[in-house]
Amino acid sequence: MNYNFQYGVVWDNFGALMEGAWLTFQLGVFAFAGGILIGLLCASIKTYGPWPLRLLVDTYVVFITNTPALIQIYFLYFGLPELGVRWSNEACVLIGLVLNAGAYLTMILRAGFLSVRKNELEAGLTLGFSVVQQIRYIIVPHIAKAVYPALANFFIVVLVMGTSVGALIGVDELTGQAINLSSINYRWLEYFSVVAVIYVVLTFVASVGLALLGRWAFRVRVRIF
Amino acid sequence: MERILEQIPRFFTADNMALLLQSAGLTLAMTVAGCVIGFGLAFVLVYLRQTPGRWALPLRVICVAYVEVFRRIPFIVVIYLVLFFIQTVASNASLFTIAVISICIYAIAYTAEIIRGGLESVPLTQMEAARAMNFGRLRTLVTITLPQAWPVILPPAIAFAVSFIKDTALVSQIGVFELTFRGKELNNQGYSGILVFGTIAMCYFLMSFPLSMLGQYLEKRLATPRSEQSARKIRRT
Repeated sequence: MNYNFQYGVVWDNFGALMEGAWLTFQLGVFAFAGGILIGLLCASIKTYGPWPLRLLVDTYVVFITNTPALIQIYFLYFGLPELGVRWSNEACVLIGLVLNAGAYLTMILRAGFLSVRKNELEAGLTLGFSVVQQIRYIIVPHIAKAVYPALANFFIVVLVMGTSVGALIGVDELTGQAINLSSINYRWLEYFSVVAVIYVVLTFVASVGLALLGRWAFRVRVRIF
Repeated sequence: MERILEQIPRFFTADNMALLLQSAGLTLAMTVAGCVIGFGLAFVLVYLRQTPGRWALPLRVICVAYVEVFRRIPFIVVIYLVLFFIQTVASNASLFTIAVISICIYAIAYTAEIIRGGLESVPLTQMEAARAMNFGRLRTLVTITLPQAWPVILPPAIAFAVSFIKDTALVSQIGVFELTFRGKELNNQGYSGILVFGTIAMCYFLMSFPLSMLGQYLEKRLATPRSEQSARKIRRT
């Protein structure tokens, strides 16, 4: 192997990579937040809703979780303009990721909803808890404890696997930036190895932050490794 | 909308369907090859990771670092790294090989965690008993731990492989003729995006859904011991 690694160009453009990392982070956070909203709605429908709505939610979850996120985003990006709906590529990626994350989060949150036992609610009732108190002291801590580790894990998945898909339709997040920059001077290996390190650092910071948040807010112990 | 309807008979021709079938086969072949090889190598990684002794500390650190690093890098970045690395080493490697190698690298990191979890689910006393009988480490693994760990390892490993069918869509970026690449090609030929990507999504669904059902069935089947299965049957009747 006779290849001279030249990292000089990469350091010159490090600022651009950092901008990409910032966009990656933003996309990840917004996609996750949107996904949580959809997930909460769908999981409550699945647990408490009437059967036609449950069927609808089931179809949504099954279809989204069994097709690639990339195809869903392509569908939004290349398909919808034919119906007169034109979104920018960032919007396509974000909406695609929200829909995608929503389906997975529905499954995760549904498992949390099921973990609240009926006799605990009855115990709360016996102690004279109001509905608000029941939600505050019984349901939320229970769901949070059961679901938080899975949620933290899934946030990392969205942050890494999810947002990087955007690069393929030309969003300038971290991977997209790397593709843009390295197609100028063909230093692919250098750019992508640096990008890999940035991803590792970014997700590691996110994991540690989430673990601390979990411990502080819900008294959940989350493994970082 | 009329344009899409008008295209339907032109799109669903035998030729196009044969192309799609072929690319679906390639997608499956890539996933199976990558995940099976990756699964085998993950065993080696887990075995190395459990090497006892102080001299093996660097080895253990490398194994942990491998798993941690590759679980935190997007698959597309791995693909690009493998592509350009292999091309500087061996410039005549086929794109299919490169795709399989990247899937392999990724699958090792994920399945190693699954295997480790499975092996740790076996009670420690079993290993201690094996050591008391002077079994070596490899022999303990093969004859004592693995037979008991299979039911825990297999279902999530299959679930991972099935979910990876979808992630191979990213390989289209380097030009392997799999399902997503075909979709982009057909779209570039002027077929409607809704039609093309809807069909491609259906193809993925038809591959992924039955296999994930099979995985769930296996999980149920393997997770409950025989005695409980028969007990449940009796209770049901």
